[in-house]
Amino acid sequence: MRGAFKEGLAPVSGPRRGAPDHSGSTPDLRLRALEHVRVAGLVPHRPSGRFRDIPQPVVCDGASPLTGTSLVVRILVVLPTLREADGDRFGILPALRRLGGEARIEVAASADACVARVREDDVDLVVVDARLGAECTSLLETLRFGQTPAIVVMVDAEPAAALDAHRHGAADCVAAGPELADTLPAVALEQIRRARALREQGAAEQRLERLERLNDAIVRTIPAALAVLDGGHRLLAVNPEFVRSFGVSAEGAAGRALDDVLPRDLLETGGVEELLARAAAGEPAPARVGRMVMSGGAARAFDLRATRLDAEGRVLLVLSDVSEREHLARRIAELQHYNENIIQNMNSALLVVDPDGVIAFANPTAERILGAQALPGRKIWDWFPTTPRDKVLMARTLAHGARFRGAETVITLRDGGLVPIGISCAPLAGADGRSLGAVAIFQDLSEIKGLQRQALQNEKLASIGQLAAGVAHEINNPMGFIHANLMQMAEYLSDLRRLWERVLALQNAVRTADAEAIRRHSDDLDRLAEEVDAAFVVADFAKAVRESQEGSERIRHIVQDLRDFSRHDTGEQALADVNECLDSTANIVWTMMKHSVVLKRSYEDLPRLRCYPMQLKQVFMNLLMNAYQAIAEQVGRSGETGEIRLATRLDGDGLVIEVSDTGVGIVRENLGRIFDPFFTTKEVGVGTGLGLSTSFGIVQRHGGTIRVRSEPGEGATFEVVLPLEREDGEADEANA
Amino acid sequence: MTTERPVLLVVDDEVRILTALRRVLRREAYEILTAETPAEALRLLDAHRVDLVLSDHKMPGMSGLALLAAAARKQPAAGRVLITGWTEEVPAEDLAAIGVRALLPKPWDDADLKATLRKALGR
Repeated sequence: MRGAFKEGLAPVSGPRRGAPDHSGSTPDLRLRALEHVRVAGLVPHRPSGRFRDIPQPVVCDGASPLTGTSLVVRILVVLPTLREADGDRFGILPALRRLGGEARIEVAASADACVARVREDDVDLVVVDARLGAECTSLLETLRFGQTPAIVVMVDAEPAAALDAHRHGAADCVAAGPELADTLPAVALEQIRRARALREQGAAEQRLERLERLNDAIVRTIPAALAVLDGGHRLLAVNPEFVRSFGVSAEGAAGRALDDVLPRDLLETGGVEELLARAAAGEPAPARVGRMVMSGGAARAFDLRATRLDAEGRVLLVLSDVSEREHLARRIAELQHYNENIIQNMNSALLVVDPDGVIAFANPTAERILGAQALPGRKIWDWFPTTPRDKVLMARTLAHGARFRGAETVITLRDGGLVPIGISCAPLAGADGRSLGAVAIFQDLSEIKGLQRQALQNEKLASIGQLAAGVAHEINNPMGFIHANLMQMAEYLSDLRRLWERVLALQNAVRTADAEAIRRHSDDLDRLAEEVDAAFVVADFAKAVRESQEGSERIRHIVQDLRDFSRHDTGEQALADVNECLDSTANIVWTMMKHSVVLKRSYEDLPRLRCYPMQLKQVFMNLLMNAYQAIAEQVGRSGETGEIRLATRLDGDGLVIEVSDTGVGIVRENLGRIFDPFFTTKEVGVGTGLGLSTSFGIVQRHGGTIRVRSEPGEGATFEVVLPLEREDGEADEANA
Repeated sequence: MTTERPVLLVVDDEVRILTALRRVLRREAYEILTAETPAEALRLLDAHRVDLVLSDHKMPGMSGLALLAAAARKQPAAGRVLITGWTEEVPAEDLAAIGVRALLPKPWDDADLKATLRKALGR
């Protein structure tokens, strides 16, 4: 695969060092240089005389003739012998010294010493005395494949000898003689520069190779399918990802038309043809997304890009698989849609406000409850200014980050309408902790409030129903015997009337002194008196009247109790005697329970309390009814009686009212729940579960507390504490 | 008075009702026993033969229905009539189960009362 791709991309790489197998457009530059040298050096340099008078050697374009090469050059001179007489007969060393201090010149006495020296260190140039003879030839051969150029200094300026030296690898030949002092430095300098250039080119090649390796690694590992196409859209090279993505082998892909390799749907949806055409023409080609359906039915999406590689119209096509990204994007969009749906359709209003209370976001439910459209930009205080307390509530979240949950308040509509709401509010803080405002969720409680009122009304009616039944029973008994007595008295009266007629007749006879008539009427009267049992009738008439009077007195009393109970039934606040409230309630309730309950009262004198008397009576009635029902459950049909104790006292600044019973008591796990709305242990139909929760609310509205102590089987004591003084605000709320 | 007269046991926790009933039945040929509590009524049932028990329903300790059930065990031959202000509250199946012959309202109509008792006694 790597080979396949290199076939396409490799040509940008240069020749390999030590592998001079390239030709044509990529010749070995070093060889070419050598060839040039050979040609140039066919004739050894002759002294031109040009340098002779010049005190500074060689070049004059800088402070040192070596400027531009390197600070230091190492030159190794190989002499046939180191003996003084014969050693440097040609004057090589003095000539080279003209190059200046930057030239470090060493001397070797043999070819072997030279080769060893060259191998162990960087030697920039070798200068060989031709007198070494055959050794010179072998030295040149040894050095020719290294990087160090060699210059031969020869006595005979024979072109044949020079050519021979070049053949064996000499970089140049210089004729010995008086001119050597000029020619040798110049040639040496040229050779050093050339070698430097060659070395630099080698480094460039190394860089190229590194780049190539990097390029190769990128091409192999990049998570995108790459293909190089020729002008005819045939594949020249593909990378492994391409092979993986489109199921063709690298070998199989080479030379095939792109149309054959990529699926049709991808080609069409991605507009590949146009993309490639524009890329080939060098026009900007915006990325496209193409789609394909896999054999398994899975859909994949590719981001397609194309770039022209060269003037021959070769194009790099890049296909990035964006299926996962698209899937995620779709998923995110779905989630956003989902969330949006919830927010738009939830039955709660959602408001986001900035720190100044300006609405930043509102969902449709918020618009519906607040009765306005286009809420963003408006201030929430338009709706929440009803009471100072509500305003403080919202402002506290914005100002101090206070959270509240399920708070009940009222909003004011533009038309003045009030809507009860339950609201939860939380601060919004940015990542830096700075306040971004608040988010509020609220619900319209109108309906719930209505149902609650209805439930409370039902609870009231149920209590009233039970009361009415008890009162009716109490009235019914006296009514029953008064009614019977009246019927009887009517009968007695008719008997007495008959007797009276006889009396009148007798009286008349007496007046006329008719003895006969007197005796007859007297007998009649006696007979009738015996017949109607006159003595009994007279006595019983009186008794019946007494009993009826007593019965009617009882009824009058009950009515009086009812009137006492219903006094203050205006729903208004009043100064009332709590003992009286409790007692009148107890009188009424007791009528229904007198058979099974002994009522004990112990009242302390209490100051009058500013309160809602009827509401307090409702509390007392609920407590009494509960006590009665607890007792009824305890005694069952045993015929035994229970006891309810009522006690009031003044305790500090509060009035304490206690209602205790000897009933079944309350199990521990229910103690915490008995004041919850709709919590009841009574049978269906007996209680609504609102009695105590209503009582709790009423006591709370009076600024008081209600507590319970109980043990199962030991009865229960409810204690109501009402403060004599309370804040006006709370009193006002009782009207709400 | 002869022992031939039927014996009525009248039970009500309201003594004035007992008196009133006695007045109404003054001229009926009954021997009348009265009890102010179910317990007393049960004692009387143990001591006397009774032809008919006329009982109130709502009484402390024991309901009239329960008393009539007890009476039925003690003297099955005696007739049983319940008199109550809450006639609709007494389940008909309970009345049938105990063999209550009639249910009288309170307040009652005198003529209705007399007729019902005669009928209950099989006269």
